[in-house]
Amino acid sequence: MISIRAGMSACGDLTVLLGSLQRLKAAVHYTVGCLCQDVAEDQDVQFSKQTIAAISEITFRQCENFAKDLEMFARHAKRTTVTTEDVKLLARRSSSLLKYITQKSEEITSSHTEQKEKKKKKPIAVKGGRTGKQEAPVTESEDSNMA
Amino acid sequence: VPQRKTREPELASSLIKKIFSHYVKMPVTRDAFKIVKKCSERYFRQVCNDLEAYTSHAGRKTVEKADLEVLMRRQGLVTDKMPLHVLIERYLPLEYRKLLIPVAVSGNRVVPCQ
Repeated sequence: MISIRAGMSACGDLTVLLGSLQRLKAAVHYTVGCLCQDVAEDQDVQFSKQTIAAISEITFRQCENFAKDLEMFARHAKRTTVTTEDVKLLARRSSSLLKYITQKSEEITSSHTEQKEKKKKKPIAVKGGRTGKQEAPVTESEDSNMA
Repeated sequence: VPQRKTREPELASSLIKKIFSHYVKMPVTRDAFKIVKKCSERYFRQVCNDLEAYTSHAGRKTVEKADLEVLMRRQGLVTDKMPLHVLIERYLPLEYRKLLIPVAVSGNRVVPCQ
């Protein structure tokens, strides 16, 4: 079925060819590749392709656990929206990680309050940015909300 | 008069020994038991810390059953395939199970009353 479809849209419709899961995996793989390149330049080591693929696969599966735990934490606090508090709770296992995440979340909230003062309309953008993942840069999530 | 030392509350070492040797099913040296005891102390400290975080996360000051379930889910003991009820039924004696899982008794009553 898939091969027929692929053949019909031979112009290269990747979205049809790849399922949404595959596309997510590809996105993770690309980002992991970029991050690995940074580390490789920094540490003067080389990552083999297999290593990068393995790290991206691990990351993908780890996201499954993260998502489940975040959902559970939000439900535990009788919320349906995951907030930074839930993310902090997720990072409690490692004290150094918790410290890092707390610092980052403080940075995000402070930058949000600055933007809030600048323009008091668009409360949706602030809300959306807060629920976004910790790793996501503020500017990026803002852009996606504006668009 | 035997002076009672004031020390930290802890599980009886005989109880820890009994539980541990029930599960290992092989001889354990005295030193190993000492380590188990130390570990269980540390375990309690860690668990209490976690429970505190989960309770305050839910905006409460009292630890409830839901907090414990979240903890056990994080520990990987409670999963979708292994609900808390099954663990209670498997590991707790009948009188405790009665307190935790509602059961119908004679006289059209449910114990514990909810």
